[in-house]
Amino acid sequence: MNWLIEQLKKPRWSPYSAGVLLGLVYVLGLLFADQLLGASGSFENLAGLIAGAFSSKVAESMYFKYIMPAAITWQVILMIGVFLGAMVAAASSGQLKWKSIPDHWKENHGSSVWKRWVLAFLGGIILEYGAGIAGGCTSGLAIAGSLQLAPAGFLFIAGLFASGILTSLIMFRGRWR
Amino acid sequence: MEGILWALILGFGFGWALQKGGLTQYATISNVFRFKDLTVLKFMMTGLCVGMVGVYGLNWLGVLEMTKVNETYLAGNLIGGIIFGVGMAVAGF
Repeated sequence: MNWLIEQLKKPRWSPYSAGVLLGLVYVLGLLFADQLLGASGSFENLAGLIAGAFSSKVAESMYFKYIMPAAITWQVILMIGVFLGAMVAAASSGQLKWKSIPDHWKENHGSSVWKRWVLAFLGGIILEYGAGIAGGCTSGLAIAGSLQLAPAGFLFIAGLFASGILTSLIMFRGRWR
Repeated sequence: MEGILWALILGFGFGWALQKGGLTQYATISNVFRFKDLTVLKFMMTGLCVGMVGVYGLNWLGVLEMTKVNETYLAGNLIGGIIFGVGMAVAGF
């Protein structure tokens, strides 16, 4: 019991331990909820819901009508759970604190807060767009797809890392390695 | 209601794994693309292995039907992955 509490309070777990928990959560998701755990879809669900309230053209679009329901779906609730889970995990080891800019970003790209936030937002848009085309993100496609041996998952991972590495080369330039 | 409860429980576990694994840090995401810290790959691949054994094991036992396999669409998966990778490297999440 003490051992367990000690483990839960550790600020950082081995990626293998955390990965085991991740795998188990995915299996339980399919077993008990008959759902693939995904992340990018929930933001599109909400975006469609909000935009649909302002524009009937959005509400009537094929995408939000047939592919990505503009509603508070199971995935949206899941994302609330993820947020709470990560928050409690951070609090369990005293890591829960506000930071307007990650230290690593500051060290490599300067301390401008607006620059970080703008790029984070743009990066998020690009990321969501890519997920929409591919049919999922690192959660719903790369992991959920690949663990079911769907070629889609592996193709996505290949594309993700290829462009991620290239983009990183550009962003970090001389400090890439 | 049952669906909502499972969504929260599973999400909580998912969020916990991400936080404890360090996947919520910009540095962790950024460094995997620079081969400085392969935490992301280790985390993902371990999750995949455990998930594969779990899903296929349960399927073999007849407990779990695999009805939700992601559709493979070569152009979409690759192009989507490429676009996604750019966003992920820029934003760090």
